[in-house]
Amino acid sequence: MALTRDDVRGIADYARIALTEEELDEMCAYMNEAIDLLQPIREYDLTDVEPTFHPIGDLSNVMSGDELNAHGRSLDLDVALSNAAASQGRSFRVPSILGDEGGDR
Amino acid sequence: MRKLNEVLRDWEAVIGLEVHTELTTLETKMFCDCRLSHDDEPNTNVCPVCLGMPGALPVPNRKAIESIVMAGLATNCQIQPRSYFYRKHYFYPDMSKNYQTTQGPVAFCMYGHLDLEVTGQGARERPDGTVDKDKDGSYVAPIRILRIHMEEDAAKMVHLGGGEGRIGGASESLIDYNRCGTPLIELVTEPDLRTPEEARLFMEKLRQTFLTLGISDCSLENGSMRCDGNVSIRRRGTKEFGTKTEMKNINSFKSLHDALEYEICRQAEVLEEGGIVYQETRHWEPSKRRTVVMRVKETADDYRMYPDPDLAPFDLSNEFVERCRARVPELPDAKRDRYVKTYGLKRTDAAQIAGDPAVSRFFEEAAEAAPKAVATVANVMVNLVPATKALLAWQVASLSSLLAQDAITFAQAREVLEVVDGTELDPQKVVDERGMRQSTDTDALSATVDEVLGRCVDQVRQYREGNKKVVGFLVGQCMKASRGTGNPKLFNQLLRERLEA
Amino acid sequence: MDTLSSMSAARIAAGVASGEFSATQVAEASLAAIEASEGEVRAFLQVSADLALASAKRTDERRAAGEQLGPLAGVPVAFKDNMHLVGTRTTCASRMLENYESVFTATCVQRMLDAGATPMGKTNMDEFAFGSSTESSAFHRTNNPWDTGRVPGGSSGGSAAAVAAGEVTISLGSDTGGSIRQPACFCGVVGMKPTYGAVSRYGVVAFGSSLDQVGPFGRCVQDVALAMNALVAGGRDSLDSTSQDVRPDFLEGLDDSVEGMRVGVIPALMEHEGLTAEVREGLQAARTALEARGVQIVEVELPNMASAIAAYYVIGPSEAFSNLARFDGVRFGYQEPNCATLAEQTALSRAHGFGSEAKRRQMLGAYLLAAGVYDKYYYPAQQVRTLITQDYRNAFERCDAIMLPAAPTCAWRFGEVSDPTQMYASDLFTISNNIAGNGGVSVPVGLGSQTGMPVAAQLQGPAFQDKKLLRVARALELGIEEAKLHRPGTVAPAFAKKGGDLA
Repeated sequence: MALTRDDVRGIADYARIALTEEELDEMCAYMNEAIDLLQPIREYDLTDVEPTFHPIGDLSNVMSGDELNAHGRSLDLDVALSNAAASQGRSFRVPSILGDEGGDR
Repeated sequence: MRKLNEVLRDWEAVIGLEVHTELTTLETKMFCDCRLSHDDEPNTNVCPVCLGMPGALPVPNRKAIESIVMAGLATNCQIQPRSYFYRKHYFYPDMSKNYQTTQGPVAFCMYGHLDLEVTGQGARERPDGTVDKDKDGSYVAPIRILRIHMEEDAAKMVHLGGGEGRIGGASESLIDYNRCGTPLIELVTEPDLRTPEEARLFMEKLRQTFLTLGISDCSLENGSMRCDGNVSIRRRGTKEFGTKTEMKNINSFKSLHDALEYEICRQAEVLEEGGIVYQETRHWEPSKRRTVVMRVKETADDYRMYPDPDLAPFDLSNEFVERCRARVPELPDAKRDRYVKTYGLKRTDAAQIAGDPAVSRFFEEAAEAAPKAVATVANVMVNLVPATKALLAWQVASLSSLLAQDAITFAQAREVLEVVDGTELDPQKVVDERGMRQSTDTDALSATVDEVLGRCVDQVRQYREGNKKVVGFLVGQCMKASRGTGNPKLFNQLLRERLEA
Repeated sequence: MDTLSSMSAARIAAGVASGEFSATQVAEASLAAIEASEGEVRAFLQVSADLALASAKRTDERRAAGEQLGPLAGVPVAFKDNMHLVGTRTTCASRMLENYESVFTATCVQRMLDAGATPMGKTNMDEFAFGSSTESSAFHRTNNPWDTGRVPGGSSGGSAAAVAAGEVTISLGSDTGGSIRQPACFCGVVGMKPTYGAVSRYGVVAFGSSLDQVGPFGRCVQDVALAMNALVAGGRDSLDSTSQDVRPDFLEGLDDSVEGMRVGVIPALMEHEGLTAEVREGLQAARTALEARGVQIVEVELPNMASAIAAYYVIGPSEAFSNLARFDGVRFGYQEPNCATLAEQTALSRAHGFGSEAKRRQMLGAYLLAAGVYDKYYYPAQQVRTLITQDYRNAFERCDAIMLPAAPTCAWRFGEVSDPTQMYASDLFTISNNIAGNGGVSVPVGLGSQTGMPVAAQLQGPAFQDKKLLRVARALELGIEEAKLHRPGTVAPAFAKKGGDLA
């Protein structure tokens, strides 16, 4: 079943990517073409086949010690904030979460 | 709105809890080596990993995994050797990667249970006939635990310009990532709880268990232990679940109880008036003693969960689990039973002491120092110590020995504790220096008794005519005559012996 | 007078160690070559002259102090611009990260520096590594040094071109579906994707976390082996949960005879309709070259390989959507100005910060991971991954390595392939061992009879047998040299004498 324009708009909303109407058309065409490419996946009988989420053989239980160390990676505040477009004092800053519609709760 | 016990006669409440506990006793965060801290300046303990910077990768903290396995063992869960971390996506800047690393369908700990002993006033919330109760009205409620999974905590956000730091109306928000990546375990119960008191007790028992394990400071006030309550109601005798609401912002045991109580009564009122309960998240306002709607859930959120490719799978060995098991200390229930059996403590006192690892450690130290006065130590621990600030175990032992020997009264004991609290002073010395020690020398006391009986002719006559209460007056006279150094219990005994003779 | 571009990495390191020339002179020669060639090639997004000269100076000081120098002492190296290096920006060729300053150094970069390499700069790439031509860079295109009207391949096109043009001796790239082996093929250099887990991914901006692997480009197999030694020298990286402890000496026994070894070929694959005649001829030449060195050619099958593209375009975009979710304009990256709400700021920052292909991949991934869809595509794709891995295991029971094309065609002209899904199909031969995780290396085997552009054979080996794989690659290189089809160390002819004189 092909994805509709509304489906694609919904995915874009979810993925937080604003698309113009024109981009939406292009994206819709692309997505359906790409999904066609994926069909071989659906033609398999995969009963009893385990998935391989990690191509790492038997590697498991990778953990680190709960240790503070002198070469720790904690960043100085100025470095931590250096790539942020907006900060205030010691914090990162974002605009209003709810905007005007949020109501007071 | 009707009262809870009326509502619960007609309706059955179905309550489930989701409890988040930060593993505050660890040194570092869940997936990086940043220091865990509650009170540093904003963005002090942040690194590429917990800031979600491009190219950074997570490595799980072994102690955190050990802690959750211990939590599972202490709550009778089955430890699942094979599990994955998953990525749970949602766009909100308190999670620096815009996904939370958490566990999928299989959690480290699954299918456990805790048995609650519901006693006293609280047991009355459960209507008779809905559970097997003992003669004194108490009952045991087995509560199943669905799972405990490992995840990471989010950053703290401060909302500016909206009044009281609230999000609505705020013009901007500030983010502090110190807390982001803190190891967090989430326990989910089955909907087996039936009263607000059971929910409160469950939460209390869980807190006692985690404190005993030493995996968290379990502070509801500071948010290191947080609880969401799901509640729905159904007509007694029906099986189908009602629509549930979710309660947030619960930061005390009392809030948990009161929010659920309010919500049960509110839902009953809505349904009884022919209304509809909506599936929604509600916020408890302790000052107004009510819940208000935060948001309505129209559709289930789609978090695009999938196994995190950056984290290797877990396949915990038997040895790993057994090493964790060996580190699980004696848990509160077992400790309570031991106190009852070994020391003959009252069950409620034993439970109270055993519930807090710091208190029980203190108790055992004091009991060891005063082996002949253990019951008195327990009595002092339950009734006097909670009001003090910095007592030492040997001071409690010393004081309890004095009490056990009837050398001081309970009232005096309280006075002595106030003096020695926060000092290195020996209660025995304080008692001696202040001349508080009560004489238990029967010969000396007998002389006083004889003297008092000699001059209180009227009272002696009243006693012999049947007014036994008058002995209290006579004890008082004896105490006065001995300037408070005589033991009132002995005076009482001696007076009665002579009066009955 | 020797030029830098005529020297191997081992030769440079030896010259620096012996005092024949200084690391500073090498760095200056590399800067001169870059100066002379960049106008035409445009392989770099950032040339880090100050860092390079400071690093070379330290190398020279260490030599003066009598210290032992590393195996890459003074060797000029470039890094794909998805690898962090403190003192440089890491842009991933995206507007999103145009001004992003590295706040830490990637493990792979650090290990090259620890071996004594001199960091010359950061190379161009497809935006966030989404692409096969480097055309999706937000900043500029990179031209193939063999024909500047053609693409260098991608996504590590800048790294391949910089080595091919003689601007640097070694470069690092990342390979998610062929992004090292295909541009190496297009640019006529050696490019290796090691086994997943052999090289740390820490500090490399992720595209598909279970597919990405870092590897080197060089003008000969020996340089690639030298770089591999540096990359695995520290053993497993404790900062990357998926990294493993494998540190063979890739140089040891590199030239040993391969007589009696077996190399598998897949006849069905050579019949693929998209495969051009000149690539087919190149593979035949490679086969002959290997046979001349005593290798036995056997026929093997990878029955599920045809589904590798489908599995890849499920797994890759899904992981990409997830990995790129962090680019919301809050902590770093492009932030849309003057937005009233956070949601608006996030959606517009992502809309204007990402290019088209980056948006397409994320949209596809966001769809594929959705509830209900996940079970139709993502989960079965990971099951198919198991089948493909099993195919390789079966095949490697019969051979030591498998040989196949690195790409179905030689480098195409700019604009020739513009449809995204048509571009995806060009990854046909490289994708399957990103799916399975085993290693692969692209080795030049001469120039195509139709285009005159480089052709390469790709060798794939069993997981964690990258050392043996490089031995086979070296044998192929020797066989091809003996057949006078390609000389190891070759720089694209137009750039062979451009700058880089070493007194």
